[in-house]
Amino acid sequence: MSRFTLKPVGWRPRLDPVQAETATPAQLAALDACPPAQRRSTYFLTLAHDPGSLGERGALFNIVMYAEGGLDRADRELATAIVSMVNGCVYCTSVHAKRFVELSGDEPAMQRILDEGWDGEPNPRRHAIAAFTETLTRTPGTTTATDLAPLRNAGLDDLDILDLIHSVAMFANANRLMLTLGDPVLPRELRG
Amino acid sequence: MAEDLIDHLLGLAPDSPLSHLRRQRPEARRHAEGAYRELLLPPDPGALSLAERAALAHRVATREGDAALAAHYATLLAASGGPAEGARHDALMRYADLVAGEPEATSRADIEGLAALGLTSREIVATTQLIAFVPYQVRVLAALRAMMQESAR
Repeated sequence: MSRFTLKPVGWRPRLDPVQAETATPAQLAALDACPPAQRRSTYFLTLAHDPGSLGERGALFNIVMYAEGGLDRADRELATAIVSMVNGCVYCTSVHAKRFVELSGDEPAMQRILDEGWDGEPNPRRHAIAAFTETLTRTPGTTTATDLAPLRNAGLDDLDILDLIHSVAMFANANRLMLTLGDPVLPRELRG
Repeated sequence: MAEDLIDHLLGLAPDSPLSHLRRQRPEARRHAEGAYRELLLPPDPGALSLAERAALAHRVATREGDAALAAHYATLLAASGGPAEGARHDALMRYADLVAGEPEATSRADIEGLAALGLTSREIVATTQLIAFVPYQVRVLAALRAMMQESAR
């Protein structure tokens, strides 16, 4: 059975997080630049130890994932779930697979990807996004115009592709932070 | 809008199609540049020196195979006095290799190892943010180069 799941996975930091009550003004300002729903999460409170990098990086994350127009948000979540699978981030995969399901309404598609990977993905647009995402994640230096052709054939325009690039790149970053600064807390039935 | 690091490394002219495209996401452009400056050239670097920051970024860009980005960080490193030697430098480079190349293999002991070298929580987070940000830059650069190949056809 795959270790990737749509069930909620927790995250436990390897460093004591900043306490919201005792945070400095610089730390609070940096937290306010992060996505509203997550700015008091343990993860962002851990990153708040270095407010400068959190503020800029939080604002970047926000615009990459939530900017209006361009690539459909479900497609961004598909890409970030796949990056997270490639990098082995069970926590990030669970969060972004769930968001894909919420936005697309297509739980069977995501469950199949989590269980079996995306090689057999029948939807050509999703297949093209998944294949490009895997190449750019695993071997960025080999990416060429040839890798973009299936995206063009699936109807993605320049801004869609730029949004996809930003999403994939953002999770090269996010997965490394999550995997390094904390441990996933798996639902009971997935604990080894 | 002034040239940013990505424009500079790609040699993008301000009136090129890809430059126009990047400006359709001005905040992504601005905050990626902001994160770069905050991690590599912060006004208050604390106990993680500018030379250590440049050395970490150089290490990751090199192992991720982006020659242009690695050359840029080599220049920053030389300008900040070159790499230090010693146990702390070696430990930082080992940590960079692990976080960039094999993040799933990290453990609490790696974080404790940095703390044992005297790094504060702020420096540990800054170090990790910096190492994790270079792979963002590498992928944006690689994919934008692929888009440049497309338009050159």
